[in-house]
Amino acid sequence: MVYFTLQKSQKFLASSRQVHKTAAHVVARSAPEETVTSSFASFIHAVQPEHLSKTVRHRSKRMILDSIGVGLVGSTTHVFDIALQYCRELYSSVAVSSVYGKPGVKLSPTLAAFTNGVATHSMDFDDTWHPATHPSGAVLPALLAASQMLPPGTKPNGTDFLLAFNVGLEVQGRLMHFSTEAHNIPKRFHPPSVVGTMGSAAATAKLLSLSTAQCTHALGIAASLAGAPMANAATQAKPLHIGNATRLGFEAALLAARGMEANPLILDDIAGCSGFSAFYNIYQPKPLSTPSDHHEFLLEKQDIAFKRFPAHLGMHWVVDAALSVRNLFINYAGSFSPSLIRTIVLKIPVSKYINRPFPSSEHQARHSFQFNACTALLDGEVGLSSFTESSIHRQELRELLDKVVVEHPEDNVANFDKMYGEVALLLHSGDVLTGKCDTFYGHWRKPLSKESLLKKFRSNASHVLPEEKIETIITMVDNLENLPDSSLLACSL
Amino acid sequence: MWAKTITGNFANVIHGLNANHLTDQVIQRSKRMILDTLGVGLLGTSTEVCHKVTQYSKIYSSDISSTIWGHLDFRLPPLYAAFVNGVAVHSMDFDDTWHPATHPSGAVLPAVIALAEAFPQKKKISGLDLLLAFNVGIEVQGRLLRFSSEARNIPKRFHPPTVVGTMGSAAACAKLLALDRPKCKNALAIAASYAGAPLANAATQTKPLHVGNAAKHGLEAACLASQGLQGNKQILDMESGIGAFYTDYSPQTLPTLQSYPWLLDQQDVAIKRFPAHLGTHWVADAASSVRRKLVESSDDLLPLDKIEKVVLKVPEVKYVNRPSPACEHEARHSFQFVACSALLDGSMSVQSFTSENVHRPALRELLRRTQLEHPPDNTPSFESLYCEVSVTLRDGSAISDRCDTFYGHWRKPLEKEDLEKKFQCNASSVLPPEAAEGIIETVYNLEKVEDCSVLSTFLSGRWARALWEKLHLL
Repeated sequence: MVYFTLQKSQKFLASSRQVHKTAAHVVARSAPEETVTSSFASFIHAVQPEHLSKTVRHRSKRMILDSIGVGLVGSTTHVFDIALQYCRELYSSVAVSSVYGKPGVKLSPTLAAFTNGVATHSMDFDDTWHPATHPSGAVLPALLAASQMLPPGTKPNGTDFLLAFNVGLEVQGRLMHFSTEAHNIPKRFHPPSVVGTMGSAAATAKLLSLSTAQCTHALGIAASLAGAPMANAATQAKPLHIGNATRLGFEAALLAARGMEANPLILDDIAGCSGFSAFYNIYQPKPLSTPSDHHEFLLEKQDIAFKRFPAHLGMHWVVDAALSVRNLFINYAGSFSPSLIRTIVLKIPVSKYINRPFPSSEHQARHSFQFNACTALLDGEVGLSSFTESSIHRQELRELLDKVVVEHPEDNVANFDKMYGEVALLLHSGDVLTGKCDTFYGHWRKPLSKESLLKKFRSNASHVLPEEKIETIITMVDNLENLPDSSLLACSL
Repeated sequence: MWAKTITGNFANVIHGLNANHLTDQVIQRSKRMILDTLGVGLLGTSTEVCHKVTQYSKIYSSDISSTIWGHLDFRLPPLYAAFVNGVAVHSMDFDDTWHPATHPSGAVLPAVIALAEAFPQKKKISGLDLLLAFNVGIEVQGRLLRFSSEARNIPKRFHPPTVVGTMGSAAACAKLLALDRPKCKNALAIAASYAGAPLANAATQTKPLHVGNAAKHGLEAACLASQGLQGNKQILDMESGIGAFYTDYSPQTLPTLQSYPWLLDQQDVAIKRFPAHLGTHWVADAASSVRRKLVESSDDLLPLDKIEKVVLKVPEVKYVNRPSPACEHEARHSFQFVACSALLDGSMSVQSFTSENVHRPALRELLRRTQLEHPPDNTPSFESLYCEVSVTLRDGSAISDRCDTFYGHWRKPLEKEDLEKKFQCNASSVLPPEAAEGIIETVYNLEKVEDCSVLSTFLSGRWARALWEKLHLL
C-alpha cells in the first residue's frame, strides 16, 4: 500500500492516563502549563502563514533554492552513491519519494529524506547560519519526501510547505540560543545533528498537522535520536549527519503521529536527569511566545550565509583574503610567481578540525584553511574542481602548502559572526603583501545577489538536470506561496 | 598486529577474535544472556510501545527480510526487525544489566539475529559465529564503559545503551559480516555518529526505542561500512569522537588476542526477576522480607491500617525517585512503587505493573505514607548500592530489613532452573511450548548448531519435527 493514513485525532490525548506528565505538574485545561517544551509545541502547532513576514519569505525561498541546487550536484558524489545503494538494497516498497538527480528512482519517505540529506551536505556546499548550523539540509529533504507521502486531496500547498520549512528553521535557531556554547564554532557535537534533528521533527510535525501534544512528543522522540560527535567532520561520514538529522526528525514525527510518547519536558531543565541539555555544558532554555498576532522569526533579524564554493564556511574568509592578496601580487610581479614567495602567513581563529596543513582527501581539503588559501592563490578561484583527487595532490599546490605558517591572533574569534581571515605573502625580496577579509561575499552581512544565487543554482543543477527542469524549479520556488500542491516540487527533482 | 590508535586497536581485536578465544565461562554466561533476552523480547512483543513501532516499521517492506520475534504473520527488513525486536527487549525494562551500567544484550542480539537471517549471498551462519559475534558486541560495550569514571555510577546525562550499545551492535555486526580491519574501524566511526540519547526519556514510552535504535543503528553502521563508507579513523581516540559523550574520557587499548581476557569472564550480568529498573530489585527483596515479618502467612493481607509510615533508604537516583507514578513506565522507575507493591503482594511480577495494579487504592494509600532517605554511604552504583526498608506501625514498633545483594544480581546469579522458568513464563505468552523448548535447546547447544537460522524459525513460532531432529542430529 502506497499511502497510509495518519492518526491526527486527539484520542491518544483524551485517554487520561497521560495527561498528568510528572507528579509535580498538573495540566490545566484552559491555560496549558508553560514549560519550555510545551511552548515549543504550541508554537509549532499554532503558527500560521500569516505570521511569515516578507523578509522571512524571501530569505527562506532563497534557502530552498540553494539547498535544492547543492543537493542536485551532491547527487554526483561517492558518498551519495553509497547511501543510495544502501537504501535501495534494503527497501523496495512504498517507494513514493523522489531522490535528487535520479528521475527514475523512488524510495520510502524517510530514506529519501536520508539520501537527499546526504546529497545536500556531501560537499559542504550548503547554507550556514548564526549561531552555527546548516539549517536547510536538515529540514528540506524531510518536507519534500513527506509532501509526496500524503494522499492526494490532503497535499499541503506551497504556503503550508513554506511555513513548515520556516518552523523547522525557527526551532533550530531558538534551540541554539539556549546555550552560549552554540555561538562559537562547535567542538563536541556537530550542531546539525543536535538542533537539525529537532528542526526536522518540528517541520514535519507542522506539515503533517500534528496536535500540540503530538508536537511535544515529536520533539521528545527526536531528542533521543540527536547528537553526533564532531570527530566525523572532515570525513566521508559527515554528510550522514544531515541525512540522519532530516530522516530521524521525520521518523520522530511519524512515530508521534502514531501515538508514541516521550518526555514532555524534554527541552526543560530537569535536575539530575538530562533532556536536550545533555548536549551542552551550559543550558538556559527559554519559552517561545505563542504566536498571537505577531511572531518575529529569527530569520528576520539574522540572515543565512550561502557558500560560493564547496568547503567549510571558515574557508570563505581566507579565500577572499587570498584572492585579494593575489591581485596585489600580480600587480607587483606581473604574474603569480610562487618562487618569489618565502612564507605564506595565515591569520585564522583556533579551530582544530579546520586546521589541516596537508589534507589527503576531498573531505579533509574542504576543512583546511591552508588548502583553500593556497588553491585560491594558485588558481585565482576555488570551485568544484578544486577538490578532485588530482587537484588535491598536484605538485605546485603541495609546494605552496609547504610555505604556510598559521597564526591565531587573539582577536580572531572562532565565531562566524566575528572572525576574519588574513593572508600575508612574505617575499624573498623582503616585501610583504597582505590581504584581509572581514566579510566574504555570500556572508549574511554581504549576501549573494539574486543573480549570483541563480548562477550557483543553475551551475549545480546542470550536472544532473536538463535546462527546462532547472527553470521549472526556479519558477516554482519563486512562486512557492501560489503552488496548489507542494509535492510538485519534489516530483520535479 | 599493532595499531597506532585505540580505534585501530579495537578494529584489530574485533577482526582478530575467533571462536577459540571463547572461554567456557564466557560461553556459559553469554548463553544465559541470550536465552533471557529472547524471553523478555518475546514477552515484550505484546506491549503497546511494541505495537506502535511495529505499525511504523511496516511502512517499509522489501524482498530481504528477517523474523519479528513472536510473529509468523509478517517479516521486516533486517534493520527494522532489529529495531522492533530491540524495542521489544527493553519494552518492560526486563532485560539484563551489567556493571558498569548498561543493558548489553538488547542492543546486540536483535541485530545479529536479524543480520544472520538476511545475510548477503544467502550464506549460512553457524551458532558459533553468532555466539562469537554476540560476545564481541558485549565486550566492546564493556571496554568502552571503562573509558570514563562517570560510567561506574547510574547515569545522569546520556542513557548508556544509546552510547555504548550502538557501538557494540556495530562491532558485533561487523564481526558477523567478517569485515576487514579498516571496515571494522569505519563501522565504529559511523556508529558513533548515531550514538547518544538523553536520559530524560527514561521512564517514558520512548525509552525502549533507545535499545531498538542502538541495535538498528549499529547494524546500519556496519552495513554502510561494508559498502565502503568511511568515517574518522580515530573515533575512539578523540575527545570529539566518542569522548563527546563524557566529561572525563581516557581510552585504552584492548589486551592482546593471546588468551584474550573477556570482561564477561570477570564480571557477570544481573538478570531481572521482574520488569523494572534494576535499582528497584534491592527494594523488592528487602520489602518482601519485611512483609514476611509482618504477616503470619503469605495468604494474609498486609495490615494496612496499622502502618504509620514506610521509609526506604536508597541511593540518590532522581529518575527512579517517583512518589506517585501514573503509568507503567513511571512505575517501573519508582523505588516507592516497587516497595509498596512488594509489601502488599509479597513479591513482584509482570502483573504488578498493569494499569489496575498501578492505580489500586490500597497501593496509592501506602504510597502516600512512603518516603525516601539517601544515606551518604549508599552510592548510586549497581556494584555497591543497598536498600533498607523499614515499616513503622501505629503502635510505635518498627520492622525493617536490608538487602545488599538481590537474587539475580551478579553476586547471586539466578539458578539455571529459575532462568529457564523466567524464559518459559515469558515465551509462553506468544509461542507454542514446542517452539519455546526449541529455543532453549538451540541456545544451550549454540556452539554446535550448524545453521543458526533455526533459532529464527523457532522465534517466529514455527516448529516442526524436522527442525528438532536437525538439532539433535549434531
